[in-house]
Amino acid sequence: MPKKPIKLPENIEYLSILDENAKVDKELEPKLSADDLKTMYRYMVLARRGDERMLNLQRQGRIGTFPQSSGHEAVSMGSVYALEKSDWHVPAYREFAGMLYRGWPLETMFLYWGGFEEGAVPPEGVNDLPICVPVGSQLLHAAGIGMAMRFKEEKKVVLTYFGDGSSSEGDFHEALNFASVFNAPVVFVCQNNQYAISVPLARQMKCETIAQRAVSYGMPGVKVDGNDVLAMYAATAAAVERARAGGGPTLIEGLTYRMTPHTTSDDPKRYRSEEEMKQWANKDSLIRFARYLEDKGVLDGDARKKLHEEIDEEIKAAVKRFEEQAQSEELLNPLRMFDYLYADTPPDLDEQREELKRFLAKKGKLPASEAGKEQAHTGRERG
Amino acid sequence: MAIEFKLPDLGEGIHEAEILEVKVKVGDQVKEDQPIFEVETDKAVVEIPCPVAGRVEQILVKKGDTVKVGTVMITFAGAAPAAPEKPAAAEAARAPEEKRPAPAAPERQAVPVQARAGEGPVPATPATRRLARELGVDLRQVPGSGPAGRVLADDVRAFAGRGAGGREEAPRRFAEREPAEPFTPQPITAEPAELPRFERWGQVERVPLRSLRRKIALSMTQSWTHIPRVSSFDEADITLLESLRQKHETQFLKNGGKLTLTVFALKAVVAALQQFPQFNSSLDESTGEIVLKHYYNIGVAVATNRGLIVPVVKDVNKKGIGALAAELQEMAQKTRDGKVELERLQGGTFTITNIGPIGGTGMVPMVNFPEAAILGMARSAQKPVVRNGAIEVRWILPLAISFDHRICDGAEAARFLRHVAELLEDPLQLLVEV
Repeated sequence: MPKKPIKLPENIEYLSILDENAKVDKELEPKLSADDLKTMYRYMVLARRGDERMLNLQRQGRIGTFPQSSGHEAVSMGSVYALEKSDWHVPAYREFAGMLYRGWPLETMFLYWGGFEEGAVPPEGVNDLPICVPVGSQLLHAAGIGMAMRFKEEKKVVLTYFGDGSSSEGDFHEALNFASVFNAPVVFVCQNNQYAISVPLARQMKCETIAQRAVSYGMPGVKVDGNDVLAMYAATAAAVERARAGGGPTLIEGLTYRMTPHTTSDDPKRYRSEEEMKQWANKDSLIRFARYLEDKGVLDGDARKKLHEEIDEEIKAAVKRFEEQAQSEELLNPLRMFDYLYADTPPDLDEQREELKRFLAKKGKLPASEAGKEQAHTGRERG
Repeated sequence: MAIEFKLPDLGEGIHEAEILEVKVKVGDQVKEDQPIFEVETDKAVVEIPCPVAGRVEQILVKKGDTVKVGTVMITFAGAAPAAPEKPAAAEAARAPEEKRPAPAAPERQAVPVQARAGEGPVPATPATRRLARELGVDLRQVPGSGPAGRVLADDVRAFAGRGAGGREEAPRRFAEREPAEPFTPQPITAEPAELPRFERWGQVERVPLRSLRRKIALSMTQSWTHIPRVSSFDEADITLLESLRQKHETQFLKNGGKLTLTVFALKAVVAALQQFPQFNSSLDESTGEIVLKHYYNIGVAVATNRGLIVPVVKDVNKKGIGALAAELQEMAQKTRDGKVELERLQGGTFTITNIGPIGGTGMVPMVNFPEAAILGMARSAQKPVVRNGAIEVRWILPLAISFDHRICDGAEAARFLRHVAELLEDPLQLLVEV
């Protein structure tokens, strides 16, 4: 009966390929084509500029409160680029770059934060779940999809995201445990921006890394420089490959920093120092990635400038489309809120819908398109 | 066309913001997204970027102002509206009172609070609903001042006609309750009737409905809208009582009381109330119950130079004529002086209004909500009356009763009134019965 150390199967590594001075580790550098690199850069810039534009839209009262994503582009873009189109993408709410890359139109994002449920409808053919605001709940959905993929013997992988704050929630632990026990092909990516709104990481956990929690669930875990898009890609590509081959889930911790308030109603100056913010601004993923692309001869200064102009035009056009849609009778119809919750609306919701309809009619606010529809949603045959 | 920019909700449920800096001047050409204001909400300091490109036409706020969400801050000319007229987000959450007049007429900030007809639930928190139940206030009648017309606890208290915690406070004097604060126009009924623009026909003056006048207006509206009122009339031959009253007047005066007809009416009314208890009740609309009161607190309408006030004589059934005469005299004087205690203005079960000293041959009084009935006394006078086949000169007192027909019926009211009249006609009977 000796007392002896138990050997755990996993060691936790830290991965960095492109450092903050844009120096690349040639040995670890992933094999990505110039087109791949340009595409990644493009969506990162689109997300950054889009995020800045959305802040203005919010300040002008054109959309509602939203969580900004500036600073999170590399974690999102680097990881999502390792997916096949048919794989599943289950975002939290700072995966702006990844969602745009997956095929969500920019105006859909504006609609979502403008309070329109239509902004949560994934485009046709996109295997994504909508933005998930309740922290951590999406991890269970991802674990469930992963288990379903196993049962259906489909070779699809699920990529899901959460923040450091979510890792303190029960959902996180349940999701990782289930995914591990059922060997589900899920890659869990943590956007560790070091603050759960205003609570610093040190006040959330006592362990060294979030990645090491993987050990408890018997899965590989890795900590990655989350402002290094190449490292994020490399780590995720390895995890996706393993999952697709039946090797089960992985936990990836991307260490990054939110360059903005938590949401538009937050004031980070009350809990983060100017100095800390400046430090992290120097580590911005876009700066080092742009230098890397320039050094590699993929995208020079002029090409970047041209790309930025294109992107600004693209955003402008998307704002216009968003505001047209936001004013359309179809989207302003409040009765639509009943349409997206269930494939078959349950009778009590049908009743509520009719009640609201009567109320709107009484107020003279029933949309013309509804006036003709008599009891369209009631009396449906139920199997 | 000028484009208005209103302060949006800059956070989650922000109501107002303080202007820290105005970054543009009237006449400036501005670009879309150029910073135009720096403001501080209770969450953060934020910059507001310009929503349009164009020329600044008017700036309606200045540094240091605290601005409510929805207030027009700035207008632009020669601009294409980049933003829709209605911001996409949070429009539904915007309260109706946040609608501001166009900047062309900024002098009045009328606040038409929308009323609710019977439809749909009234937005209010459970605590506010409970308060409304306790104060006997119908929530549908209360104009809501919260977001999206939500009825707040203060709205309910204001509607119930008492300030926060009114009952718990030490007795306050009416004089102290006269507010000197600026007047904010607000409707006195749930559904204010539309008026024509009187200015079209000549000069008009608008006098704020303040404090007591407003309270009277509110309570009369409540009476009129809630109580299906019916009136009935009778006459009392008070020749005997009048001679008694005149005979003992001086003696009572020595004891500090004026022996008025009202004093006898108080006693007669209580005797009638004991016989017809439904006239000493209230209808609880929320429960569908008649609340019969086993106490007899009779309000007596007093005309003051500020308006009608109804102080209450408590437990009239337990007091003698002399005590009543003294109390009534003291109470009426205090009321006229604006010094009557708040607690003496509450808890009435029935009201008497005597316009006799002023004049009038008859009247149709309003029931004093939430009571069930009110007795009106007009001027008593010597009249030629046929008695035993001959014309005689008698003292005749015209009486009226108005009552809540939901609780009482006309036949009972006629009997009630006759009973009062008979007691006033036969002072001995009055003494025997009460």
